Amino acid sequence: MIDFRSLPKVALAALALPLLTTAASPTVEQANKAAAVPEDWAPPGGRIGYVLWDEYWGIRETEGGKEECPNGWNIGPREQFAILYPDNGKKRKLVDTQLAYESQVWFPDTRPDGFEYHEATGKYALGIDLDGKHSPEDFISDDGRTGIDNQLFRVVGCVRNYRKEGELGIITTKWRQQNRFNRVVFELSNVDSLKNDPDVTVSYFRTLDHLLADSTGHFLPGGSQRIDTRFGKRFHVSTKGRIVNGVLETDPVDLELPELALSDPSIIKFKGMKLRLTLTPEKAEGVLGGYADVEQWYYAMNTSWATHHASYGQASAPSIYRALRRLADGYPDPKTGENTAISAAMDIKLVQVYVIHPETESLMSSR
Amino acid sequence: MSGSNLRNVFAALSSLWLSTTALAATQLTELYEPVPMPPGFQVVVSELEGPVFADAKGHTLYQWPVKPLRNGAVGERKGQPTCDHTRYKVNSGLMSPYPPGLELPEVETRPSCLDVWPAVTAEEDAKPIGKWTIIERKDGIRQWAYDGYALYTSVLDEQPGDVNGGTLRKTGGDGPGTRKPVGPPPMVPPQFEILPLLSGRMLVTSEGNSVYASAKDSLGKSNCHGACARAWKPIAAPAYAKDRGDFTIIEREPGIRQWAFRHQPLYTRVADEFFHSQRGSDEPGWSNVYTQRAPEPPSDFTVQDTYSGIVLADSRGKTVYVYNCGDDALDQLACDHPDSPQAYRLTVCGGGDPKRCLETFPYVLATENAKSTSRLWSVMYIDPMTGKIAQPQQPGALRVWAFRKRPVYTMWRDRGPGELHGDSWGEFYGYRNGYKAFWLRDDYDNNAE
Repeated sequence: MIDFRSLPKVALAALALPLLTTAASPTVEQANKAAAVPEDWAPPGGRIGYVLWDEYWGIRETEGGKEECPNGWNIGPREQFAILYPDNGKKRKLVDTQLAYESQVWFPDTRPDGFEYHEATGKYALGIDLDGKHSPEDFISDDGRTGIDNQLFRVVGCVRNYRKEGELGIITTKWRQQNRFNRVVFELSNVDSLKNDPDVTVSYFRTLDHLLADSTGHFLPGGSQRIDTRFGKRFHVSTKGRIVNGVLETDPVDLELPELALSDPSIIKFKGMKLRLTLTPEKAEGVLGGYADVEQWYYAMNTSWATHHASYGQASAPSIYRALRRLADGYPDPKTGENTAISAAMDIKLVQVYVIHPETESLMSSR
Repeated sequence: MSGSNLRNVFAALSSLWLSTTALAATQLTELYEPVPMPPGFQVVVSELEGPVFADAKGHTLYQWPVKPLRNGAVGERKGQPTCDHTRYKVNSGLMSPYPPGLELPEVETRPSCLDVWPAVTAEEDAKPIGKWTIIERKDGIRQWAYDGYALYTSVLDEQPGDVNGGTLRKTGGDGPGTRKPVGPPPMVPPQFEILPLLSGRMLVTSEGNSVYASAKDSLGKSNCHGACARAWKPIAAPAYAKDRGDFTIIEREPGIRQWAFRHQPLYTRVADEFFHSQRGSDEPGWSNVYTQRAPEPPSDFTVQDTYSGIVLADSRGKTVYVYNCGDDALDQLACDHPDSPQAYRLTVCGGGDPKRCLETFPYVLATENAKSTSRLWSVMYIDPMTGKIAQPQQPGALRVWAFRKRPVYTMWRDRGPGELHGDSWGEFYGYRNGYKAFWLRDDYDNNAE
């Protein structure tokens, strides 16, 4: 008899899978067959899920930032503080220095702060054409698509924290993989072919389970994810999409991405989110694009990155806020006309999972 | 479902709280192991922190354990008290990225560590006993210590059972070096531990698994067998274990012994994916086990689900926040109380503007006839322009709810139940100078601990 207590939690979830999987889930034979990738393969029951395990804010990086950051990197809180309050023997008060700086972090404004801000520049960027328009500020993707909307790239492209070398780039992926708050899946249904299908439904859920990994830490297809039907209900959205030559593109939908960092359960709120993902039976990779709510994005940044941690990656919150407001390009406030959201893109990677739908809701405390 | 209804349902099902009447019943407070104590000391069972040592007047005793900060450590090592009469004028620079040497707020009236943490002094003829020893300090004070660590009282405690100076709950990795109440060991078998939460003192196994009880069991008898016992693993008692305090041993079947608490058989939940889980309490008839529950909040409050767990909320369902603050001087004095400097709070709630603070993080106002039924919750008057305690008759004074003698707040961006825009707002994720939600349960992180 198996001693369940001696098994790691991941193993327990795997053992539970046969008991919980719905009728639409494939058998082992079917899963093995799927790995062979037939030309016009369709998932069993027309349904396939993918769980997010890797993400970066969409920054097209060249070596040393030669192309996108010709003027160099931005400076961070530590450098700004040293300029504002030089160590010249003058006696200073905490209220006039540290607390004055933190005031700017938590209640920033758009007045010039005297620090030059280096926006990322160039013709090329990661992303999606979110608005169907071609504007002067738009980019071109590396595969030649035009009208790419990704103004957040201009904001954070020359902030080292947001580049792959930065702390955020390293740690965000770790959080995405390890923290259960951040677990989300996209599930495609009504799929007749993973190669070409003009009409599929794409649903998005927060889920509850660990990622399935091999002994070297690589994430594997074939895991399962139970939908979070209690605290995760607010995350569920659906949209329509189409698959062309193995690439999924979706219609826009408002979407909230859970983004727990060091301690704060924060959320990135995308308006008009679109996916562009290359699909295989085992994985999906590509871009999540949308208009990020500026105030929420800024709040999530500050509650994820204390001034201390932001200093590692030279990310000055007050300076970033000014750039966010300056470059915001979507969803104007009906009263003031000021844009409330900024186009953004995330470079994402997902691995196939079986999404377990609850047949009935039975939690007493959720009634 | 309205917030109040949800609260009633939740309270009835999960019993997060304990009524004050029930708390007064001694059998529902936590038992502790008797330890030898010097004359003049006692054990008081507090409402939230459980049994704590107290002096002859009932003042809770505290220690100041060492805590590493970003650029160095604070606190005290065994036999080496550092809390003294020094009146620090500047910050220490222990919290990056800000440098040391900055003049502290309200420096002219800033107290010394010993002003707010009076040392527990030993009489000339006092003698050590058990873990109680006497430290001869450099300043000539003979100070009592427990387990080697110097003992203090807090000026914030007034009556026996008050534990307003510190808490055993976690205070955040980048929170200040806080003081901890000290007490006798809990009377629990070695297989168990107690997890201090805002909802009470929750029982977990020594491995960290949550402990559950079933409403379908009878006192002293388990009715969980077969499939039930495969999903809810009975906690086995070793052959050498004996009944102790509230813990007894039942025999499920010949030779199979199971722990029971207050005669309720105890289990772990096989499906719990993480330590300290409360997910099992969502299952009908099952609940987490507490050695002692926190007193019920005043009726002005509700309980709400968020996207990460359960929080305390006001009568409209808006999430309630507590404010945390410790300054960066070497003595790490708290700045989270209305008697302490308000410059820190006013910075993170309004950029230094008290009027803005009233809009961003408004106090939770107490209705005219509102009364607390516990020491944990109280009504206080606040001068909103200074943030300090006011006299009731003072013009403009607000009558507000306070938890552990600190006002509680809501947040302007939260528009309705379940919203959570103020959590971790402020320096170092709301632990050092900022706001944290009043977490009762967090299924995704450790915010409730």
